[in-house]
Amino acid sequence: MDFLKSGLKTVLGAPEPGQTPSAGETVERLVERVEHSTLLEDRRDACRALKAMSRKYRVEVGAQGMNTLKQVLELDRADNETINYALDTLSNIMSPSQFEEEEDNPNVPMNIGEQFTEMFIKDHNNIQLVLDLLDEYDFRVRLSAVQLLTSLLTNRPKDIQEIILVKPMGVSKMMDLLSDTREVIRNETLLLLIKLTKGNANIQKIVAFENAFDRLFEIVSSEGYSEGGIIVEDCLLLMLNLLKNNSSNIHFFKEGSYIQKMLPMFDATDDGEELGWSPQKVSNVHCMLQIVRTLVSPSNSAQLLASCQKIMKYAGLLDALCSILMASGVPADILTETINTVGEAVRGDVTNQDFLGNVMAPSNPPRPAIVVLLMSMVNEKQPFSLRCAVLYCFQCYLYRNEAGQASLVQTLLPSSGDATALTSGQLLCGGLFSSDALSNWFSAAALMHALADNPTQKEQLLRVLLASNIGSSPQSLLQLCTQLLQHSTKMQVKVSQLLDALSNWFSAAALMHALADNPTQKEQLLRVLLASNIGSSPQSLLQLCTQLLQHSTKMQVKVALLMLLSQWMSHCPAAVSAFLKVPGGVGYLVNQTCSNDHDDNEYLLQGLSAFLLSICIHFNDDSVENYSKDSLKQLLLKRIGMETFTAKLSEVTKHESYNKAAKHPQLRVKSPAEIMIDYEFCRLFKSLESVITQSLAVKQENGVADSGSDRGSPAGDSLLQYKTLIRQQDARLHELTAQLDALLQRNQQLQSALNDATASNSHLKDENTLLKAQVSAVNSLPNQSQQVPREDVKVKEHEARIQELTAEVSRLGQELVTSREAHKMAADELEKLRKDQDDLLELLADQDAKLNEYKMRLMSLGQAVEEAPSDQNLT
Amino acid sequence: MAYAYLFKYIIIGDTGVGKSCLLLQFTDKRFQPVHDLTIGVEFGARMITIDGKQIKLQIWDTAGQEAFRSITRSYYRGAAGALLVYDITRRDTFNHLTTWLEDARQHSNSNMVIMLIGNKSDLESRREVKKEEGEAFAREHGLVFMETSAKTAANVEEAFINTAKEIYEKIQEGVFDINNEANGIKIGPQHSAAGGASGAGGAGAGGAAGGGCC
Repeated sequence: MDFLKSGLKTVLGAPEPGQTPSAGETVERLVERVEHSTLLEDRRDACRALKAMSRKYRVEVGAQGMNTLKQVLELDRADNETINYALDTLSNIMSPSQFEEEEDNPNVPMNIGEQFTEMFIKDHNNIQLVLDLLDEYDFRVRLSAVQLLTSLLTNRPKDIQEIILVKPMGVSKMMDLLSDTREVIRNETLLLLIKLTKGNANIQKIVAFENAFDRLFEIVSSEGYSEGGIIVEDCLLLMLNLLKNNSSNIHFFKEGSYIQKMLPMFDATDDGEELGWSPQKVSNVHCMLQIVRTLVSPSNSAQLLASCQKIMKYAGLLDALCSILMASGVPADILTETINTVGEAVRGDVTNQDFLGNVMAPSNPPRPAIVVLLMSMVNEKQPFSLRCAVLYCFQCYLYRNEAGQASLVQTLLPSSGDATALTSGQLLCGGLFSSDALSNWFSAAALMHALADNPTQKEQLLRVLLASNIGSSPQSLLQLCTQLLQHSTKMQVKVSQLLDALSNWFSAAALMHALADNPTQKEQLLRVLLASNIGSSPQSLLQLCTQLLQHSTKMQVKVALLMLLSQWMSHCPAAVSAFLKVPGGVGYLVNQTCSNDHDDNEYLLQGLSAFLLSICIHFNDDSVENYSKDSLKQLLLKRIGMETFTAKLSEVTKHESYNKAAKHPQLRVKSPAEIMIDYEFCRLFKSLESVITQSLAVKQENGVADSGSDRGSPAGDSLLQYKTLIRQQDARLHELTAQLDALLQRNQQLQSALNDATASNSHLKDENTLLKAQVSAVNSLPNQSQQVPREDVKVKEHEARIQELTAEVSRLGQELVTSREAHKMAADELEKLRKDQDDLLELLADQDAKLNEYKMRLMSLGQAVEEAPSDQNLT
Repeated sequence: MAYAYLFKYIIIGDTGVGKSCLLLQFTDKRFQPVHDLTIGVEFGARMITIDGKQIKLQIWDTAGQEAFRSITRSYYRGAAGALLVYDITRRDTFNHLTTWLEDARQHSNSNMVIMLIGNKSDLESRREVKKEEGEAFAREHGLVFMETSAKTAANVEEAFINTAKEIYEKIQEGVFDINNEANGIKIGPQHSAAGGASGAGGAGAGGAAGGGCC
């Protein structure tokens, strides 16, 4: 303070006695002096004083002096010292951090640096002024300008990036500073560039264009690669910035042969092994591994990724990485990251995968590196992250590697003779049935990757027989797995509070992977019967899962089971109906979906329940009566409501752990407690979400239409009904018309027959009349005895004729009777005719009687015996 | 992998004249008919041979839209060659050449070789700019001129290679200062590259020493 005061005294002159000026007044006078002094020395001194005050009184200096300082930058460029003071002052007032001097000053707001930055960058020319000063060769000026830009970037990164981007040569000027021979400036520039390139692809590209990689590799090599100090780390961080999510720059990096230049960074054959790694070396190597991973990240385009992997193999980088893997004395976190890196470097590239498969560990006896890695995966004493990394590496090793998958399963098959050598298959099986829950999960997942997209190996594995206990009969691996699952479930039910919930999660996740895209397995699993308690009747696995879901209190278990059930029931109506039959299953889901708990994890649970419920609806084959598609839909609409339902469903994708898991196939969790959602489930959810919402929406529309038809509006369904009705009626109509035609025809036939009958009838009548006349003529001449024989002959003729006629008449009568019976349709005419006929018949009967009489008479008349009848007849 | 020289190119010109297509045809030997707007700048690379020497071309394909102009300006300084492209079926793209040329001359180093390219020569029926006009403009401003078609690949190789030849000649004449990398020219790692590639195993340290400086 004394120094400051004496400094002020020299500038301002001695203060008037008895009066100490306030800070504000002092600043005011200093600013005035900077502005109006004609002498350069005066202005310089005033600037120096402002700089001195700017740390303690930055509010005052900033508020009053900002414009004046800008003016200095513009007008006093010739004097480096003044410029330097002005830049330092600006740096101070816009510093993002708090100074010691102002700690006890309550008037300084927390974000004061940011506020002043905002004021400063309002005029873009101010940035240009500072950029121009970068051209100044003077050490102090250059350094101050770089530092000022760094503070500005710290405060308002996005704004400054945009401003610098549009300034011609803005980035180029900074890049030039990287070649500055003065290390301090070079190092400060590195920090500036790291801030500048963060998250801005355009700047990253320009920086790369300006030969940044060459500069950085030069610095890294001159500093001794991984053994170098923090400056190496800074260089690597900048490289990482330039490459991250920037495919253009990765392409450039690859084309510029920079991958080859990375090789010396991973030189594992150093003598530092005994001494252990320095913290700086750990950071450096970690950064390098990050760069490698950025180049071969699974999210890069396939073409770029493949060519990077090829170059890594060709340049020996993969070899170097593998030797780090097998070297001794490597710190655990570097080892973990190296395992991840090696994994991504071989992922999907058969040549590299083969290479990794052939790496031998320098152990005694020599074992394949893969086996050694798996040994650490199933070893529960290894750190969690390391075990995750091995799993990821193993997954990458088997990714699209049919030969690798086959050879792994081969080690499980009984035929693989040599029992003494430790194989990866044995390790995995050992891990699968060890008592450590994590080992179980890791082994299961590793096996799962051996099966991914490879139906042949799935079948092979079914044949794997293991002797689980010596002396017992061999069981198939699948059986054992199921038993294992049953075992852990049983324990969970019994001592749910005591047992590690993780084992459930892992089991469920592993099982889920086994089900992915495999309908046969889904149905197989339905048949799995488990004896949940010894002595009780066996229950199906699905029932157990559902029960466990309802009774479990642990988040992870519930989530895991919901995921498993979702995976299981999707595209598998048999599983859906099995689930619907479990008492309380649907009720539980509905309750979960409706529940109103406000907690991130509860939201997730609600979302998952909603998802499972919609799967129940979508893949429902209507085989369970109470829970058919429609009734479930109604339940959903009434109890939950469509709005709420979709909102809940979307909660899943909003959840942090979902987003984390969906991003990357690698399991990225810090602690076992964070394990929630699995990558495979995210894939399922993504593929089904839209389908399910769409199908629900469509169903809802249908529901509206149905209720609409009640109000009289035409509906597809009733229209269809009417159509079928009309069609039926149409058919009936045709049938009847045909019937009618047939009847009409028959009627016509009968009519004609009747006509014939009538005609012959009338003919008979005529003849009858004739006969009557003849008979009367005969009766009128009874005395003509000579005529008698003739008459006798005549009568006989008549007799025969009458007999003939009688026969004919009776025949006709019969015909009439039958036709009357058959044709009641033509009743009217028939009746009329029948009357006539009746009359006729009567007449005929009379006639008949008469004829008989005559006959008798003729017989009595003819002879004594013979003619009597005719006499009798004549009387 | 080993190359004698490395040249940096930029491709400039109005939007939609076919800059990205030219690059794609040159690096991948294929044509993409759909106009996919370039955002900022994209990178491509290919090896060519001139005078028996391997020359690596690194090409930055810039966005033609006005909005990206300030970004693309940053690339002028470090480039040894520029392809200035217009569309022979759109007169306005030809009219804008002067602006582009001014911009390039202002921000680039004075020795930058500029090749004027009239693209889409396959669309003869829709031609709006005569070949003679292009030739005249090139003569007037001291540029090399060529009509190309990124679709049929006509003259595409030649355009890039002739530009490289021009730069190569300038190097032979001593016009370019090849030690200043800001000119967009680098001398290849020559023989040290062979050591770096084969020295994967035990010779790692030797490869490091050889490949480190360039």
